[in-house]
Amino acid sequence: MDWDLKEELRDCLVAAAPYGGPIALLRNPWRKEKAASVRPVLEIYSASGMPLASLLWKSGPVVSLGWSAEEELLCVQEDGVVLVYGLHGDFRRHFSMGNEVLQNRVLDARIFHTEFGSGVAILTGAHRFTLSANVGDLKLRRMPEVPGLQSAPSCWTTLCQDRVAHILLAVGPDLYLLDHAACSSVTPPGLAPGVSSFLQMAVSFTYRHLALFTDTGYIWMGTASLKEKLCEFNCNIRAPPKQMVWCSRPRSKERAVVVAWERRLMVVGDAPESIQFVLDEDSYLVPELDGVRIFSRSTHEFLHEVPVASEEIFKIASMAPGALLLEAQKEYEKESQKADEYLREIQELGQLTQAVQQCIEAAGHEHRPDMQKSLLRAASFGKCFLDRFPPDSFVRMCQDLRVLNAVRDYHIGIPLTYSQYKQLTIQVLLDRLVLRRLYPLAIQICEYLRLPEVQGVSRILAHWACYKVQQKDVSDEDVARAINQKLGDTPGVSYSDIAARAYGCGRTELAIKLLEYEPRSGEQVPLLLKMKRSKLALSKAIESGDTDLVFTVLLHLKNELNRGDFFMTLRNQPMALSLYRQRIEGRVAALQTAADAFYKAKNEFAAKATEDQMRLLRLQRRLEDELGGRFLDLSLHDTVTTLILGGHNKRAEQLARDFRIPDKRLWWLKLTALADLEDWEELEKFSKSKKSPIGYLPFVEICMKQHNKYEAKKYTSRVGPEQKVKALLLVGDVAQAADVAIEHRNEAELSLVLSHCTGATDGATADKIQRARAQAQKK
Amino acid sequence: MAFPHRPDAPELPDFSMLKRLARDQLIYLLEQLPGKKDLFIEADLMSPLDRIANVSILKQHEVDKLYKVESKPAVSSSEQLCFLVRPRIKNMRYIANLVNADKLAGRTRKYKVIFSPQKFYACEMVLEEEGIYGDVSCDEWAFSLLPLDVDLLSMELPEFFRDYFLEGDQRWINTVAQALHLLSTLYGPFPNCYGIGRCAKMSYELWRKLEDEEDGETKGRRPEIGHIFLLDRDMDFVTALCSQVVYEGLVDDTFRIKCGSVDFGPEVTSSDKSLKVLLNAEDKNGRALLLCCRYTGEAGRYKLQFCVRRRGMDIKQMKNFVSQELKGLKQEHRLLSLHIGACESIMKKKTKQDFQELIKTEHALLEGFNIRESTSYIEEHIDRQVSPIESLRLMCLLSITENGLIPKDYRSLKTQYLQSYGPEHLLTFSNLRRAGLLTEQAPGDTLTAVESKVSKLVTDKAAGKITDAFSSLAKRSNFRAISKKLNLIPRVDGEYDLKVPRDMAYVFSGAYVPLSCRIIEQVLERRSWQGLDEVVRLLNCSELAFTDMTKEDKASSESLRLILVVFLGGCTFSEISALRFLGREKGYRFIFLTTAVTNSARLMEAMSEVKA
Repeated sequence: MDWDLKEELRDCLVAAAPYGGPIALLRNPWRKEKAASVRPVLEIYSASGMPLASLLWKSGPVVSLGWSAEEELLCVQEDGVVLVYGLHGDFRRHFSMGNEVLQNRVLDARIFHTEFGSGVAILTGAHRFTLSANVGDLKLRRMPEVPGLQSAPSCWTTLCQDRVAHILLAVGPDLYLLDHAACSSVTPPGLAPGVSSFLQMAVSFTYRHLALFTDTGYIWMGTASLKEKLCEFNCNIRAPPKQMVWCSRPRSKERAVVVAWERRLMVVGDAPESIQFVLDEDSYLVPELDGVRIFSRSTHEFLHEVPVASEEIFKIASMAPGALLLEAQKEYEKESQKADEYLREIQELGQLTQAVQQCIEAAGHEHRPDMQKSLLRAASFGKCFLDRFPPDSFVRMCQDLRVLNAVRDYHIGIPLTYSQYKQLTIQVLLDRLVLRRLYPLAIQICEYLRLPEVQGVSRILAHWACYKVQQKDVSDEDVARAINQKLGDTPGVSYSDIAARAYGCGRTELAIKLLEYEPRSGEQVPLLLKMKRSKLALSKAIESGDTDLVFTVLLHLKNELNRGDFFMTLRNQPMALSLYRQRIEGRVAALQTAADAFYKAKNEFAAKATEDQMRLLRLQRRLEDELGGRFLDLSLHDTVTTLILGGHNKRAEQLARDFRIPDKRLWWLKLTALADLEDWEELEKFSKSKKSPIGYLPFVEICMKQHNKYEAKKYTSRVGPEQKVKALLLVGDVAQAADVAIEHRNEAELSLVLSHCTGATDGATADKIQRARAQAQKK
Repeated sequence: MAFPHRPDAPELPDFSMLKRLARDQLIYLLEQLPGKKDLFIEADLMSPLDRIANVSILKQHEVDKLYKVESKPAVSSSEQLCFLVRPRIKNMRYIANLVNADKLAGRTRKYKVIFSPQKFYACEMVLEEEGIYGDVSCDEWAFSLLPLDVDLLSMELPEFFRDYFLEGDQRWINTVAQALHLLSTLYGPFPNCYGIGRCAKMSYELWRKLEDEEDGETKGRRPEIGHIFLLDRDMDFVTALCSQVVYEGLVDDTFRIKCGSVDFGPEVTSSDKSLKVLLNAEDKNGRALLLCCRYTGEAGRYKLQFCVRRRGMDIKQMKNFVSQELKGLKQEHRLLSLHIGACESIMKKKTKQDFQELIKTEHALLEGFNIRESTSYIEEHIDRQVSPIESLRLMCLLSITENGLIPKDYRSLKTQYLQSYGPEHLLTFSNLRRAGLLTEQAPGDTLTAVESKVSKLVTDKAAGKITDAFSSLAKRSNFRAISKKLNLIPRVDGEYDLKVPRDMAYVFSGAYVPLSCRIIEQVLERRSWQGLDEVVRLLNCSELAFTDMTKEDKASSESLRLILVVFLGGCTFSEISALRFLGREKGYRFIFLTTAVTNSARLMEAMSEVKA
């Protein structure tokens, strides 16, 4: 190991990711109760011990560490907050496991992996479990209470069955299975008697098997469903083991569990005896798909069941075809005739194909390149004597081994086995390389494996560019140039994605520079709009010649800018303006057709009306362009009113002339509009402009509607004699109304005034009218 | 209504039976889909359904949740869905979308579509086109008659008017015939039948055919209703277009009565909520509650008057009365104060000078004098953009009373209207023309030709006078002739005392007797159309007026005084009030069957192409 650990592993919180993943150490955890003033350090190493990150831990006490499937470090704090860090110690996000957890504190936490992603299970201080099956899509589930659980369970683990996460926990001699609905008591079949408590439990990597370690030193191994017992073993060590981990190969019949104590490692399986190793140093076990990784301060080892092929070949005195082939090849190199003998032997048995396959397979499981080479050489040698042996398995193995050897390299530090690699797939491996910022290696691998560019090289380049963009110390110019040099016109690289990333980092200028390289306007424009560079977006859209795109920008602009700015923008872009016009022209064209049809039908009135409508539409558009505001789809009357309300009197008059609005209408319209504006001065001027075609009573009425008695009175004098009484009554001048009515000697007017006489105030007036009436009758 | 009937007035048949019948049928249909189900109801059917069966009854029959059929998709988790809809294509598409969405999601549910009042082949066609005909079961809920009041049955088919009178769609006629058939099976045959109008005739013949097919029991029954009178709305547009001044009509014009109940807004209830109040004679509780509020014309000033137990009171007295005498009768108190609130709010709107002018113009149009003045009033009305519907109504009224507009006016009014309310209304005018509501006098009339020549020679003012002169010379309008023949405009001698109405004109404050009601009165008096040939000719219905009397006189005198009036295309509250009054005067009782209760605004909206 390359690392230089100052402290013992046992003093640290340790988390190592499966698939040869990184190791996270949090020194000086709180449980040691050391000097609280010293801030702990969170360190992340590659599997080979190369330091990747180191940061001072500033948040609250951490209970548990774990790696998610995306190689993100999850740190569960005592208050239930989970902090997520990237591989390089960059903080990603955080989330909480809920209020209940916050109140009762976290007692213990596990990070587990399901087919949905990585989950977090938490045991709270109130001995309740809360779990989330996928931290990417956080849904908290509070597990039901375990009846009678007073203290923390002696051990617990998460199981994943039928795509649902369960919790198995042991309290004294009892085992309970918690699913999200109920808590049920379970008993493993064939459990030896006399168990008073379970000290440790282990679930296999695939959640298929379960091992239980009891206080009598007895180990029970069975299926995770607790329906079947596989085997049992009594190791007679009563001390609780530090770690217990399954060590088995997928599809292998052998089952084995590795149990670790302070200085002892024991491999237990379906055999009366166990294998024991002595541990020189404090070690840590990492369960893997096909074995166990064991690392300590100085070493990093892999313990696994020997694969069948390797066993067959390397077993002492093995007569398996693969072993013979290997021997034959060795002899051949020595130029000995024995080679022929061995070959013959294999061929007589008709097992040459099998021999070649065994050699290829065994090579895959070898870690040392020289062994791999000799095995492959043997395979290639055997292949020569076969007629129709498909070469692809051999070729693929060679390629895979080259890739594996490359990533296993000390500097890279991803110790993957062949089976893990196959499980992980090359895409994920590339992603992990990208995550470690090992872009050159990733590109070399892609090129070597001849992966399609879109999946391989360009994807990695894009990632590189996105990373490059985040380097804030380099100037925009340099970054943009560097990226363009590297990327060039590589197919499948989306400059807009990179620009979006740059924009996300707050480097708008860089984003715009990068967008210059983007050949697809369809990608360019939306991002520019997002960055509020609407004008640039508009010119880009126009350059593209894609009208749809121009419309997108136009509609966006129309919402974003006020009308004036919008048209100012449009004015500089004649093409956009004409497009915007076209939308209305479409309607005008339809109307023209309608008008033609009306003419054909000899309905001249309707034809004229339609033509007027077209004229109005065009005019309204011009008004919108020139004055701003909304004019489209207003009626003629409303258009003129809007103009007057906006203070464009000249234009209003022009419009009235153009459309031959009758005088009466115009007067009514102006009167109402000016009164609405409360522009009394203008109203008075207007009233004096010429003789009102509608009389002056409406002036009085409208003024009164606006509750302006003062203005109303101005006009009463000008109201014609036949309406004078009405006008006076409107402004509330009953007495004068009575006088006028009496003067007119009009019976109807008199009674009208009379009916307006209310209460005591008008008593005198009422009397006066009565008298006048009486007089009139006398006459 | 306010006035108690004459002691010898015949008893009305019990129409609550219709409600029971409809309810039982609906329950039967719901029970055919056993288990829990969600019910989707079309908005138009909601209030009628509420009158038939309330939510608790629906819940009793395992209706789980209620949804409104609307444009947005509903999220229902039930395994059984039931749709209660009018037979409309739009609804079929809605259902099809829902079913097809389920199919895409791989979900199988049970669907049942209940058509009310009947299903149309076109709807089934749509279901078939959408490929879901096999997935849904269809049923009919023959609920066509909703009793809104003791004497008022509504079919609640407001679309009847547009469908028949504008689009010429005759599909609802069968529904009318079915409804008549139902009435005759329940209440015995109708010995005397009268009718006028194309639709009336078709409905009548269809109904007869139905009766003949199913003769047997009905023939032997004693008739309960002695007369039936079928009338098309297009016989009398004038009445429907006038502003209403009877209380219910006012409430309808102002607040819109929907399915016999009205939503009073905050300005009436004097609280924040709006309240729904049932408006009919049933909730009287035997006490003469609020009965009638009317307008009296008194020296040009309109005053609202209440009649409680035939005592005239003004609002102040009324409030006193309410707070003192009705203490303890909380419910009535509440209702009454609501109605007073409504009256006050109507008063506020109607006592404005504008309204007086409006009424004055209307009366002038009805009487046929000062046409030029009225025309310029309408012009002003349009110029001031008072209300698109109101302006349209006045134009139609002018057109009908004058037998079409003079081409010059027709053009100028239309131009003005389009300028004021938007050019889209060109289509509305085309509709109105088709329905005969707003027409142009036939051009080529020699007189108009002369007139235009003469008017060119003189000034504007003089031209107007000349036009008036010429129009009086021209062929008098049909309406005018009918009006004269039937004496629709009562001679005003002195003041018309609305507290003591003398004739049916009281519903229009004594200015006009509703034409439809007058026709009914005349025909009933004569027991035939005899002597009315001239009127029928003027109505352009020479072929379409019919009488059918059964000779054998099994009908009791009691039943002979019960008359069923069928309005095809809707009737107004004014007409109902007028006929109720007529009944009181003559000892008849009228039963109203209408496709929907309507008013001028509804008629105009049905014709309008601009949807609000």
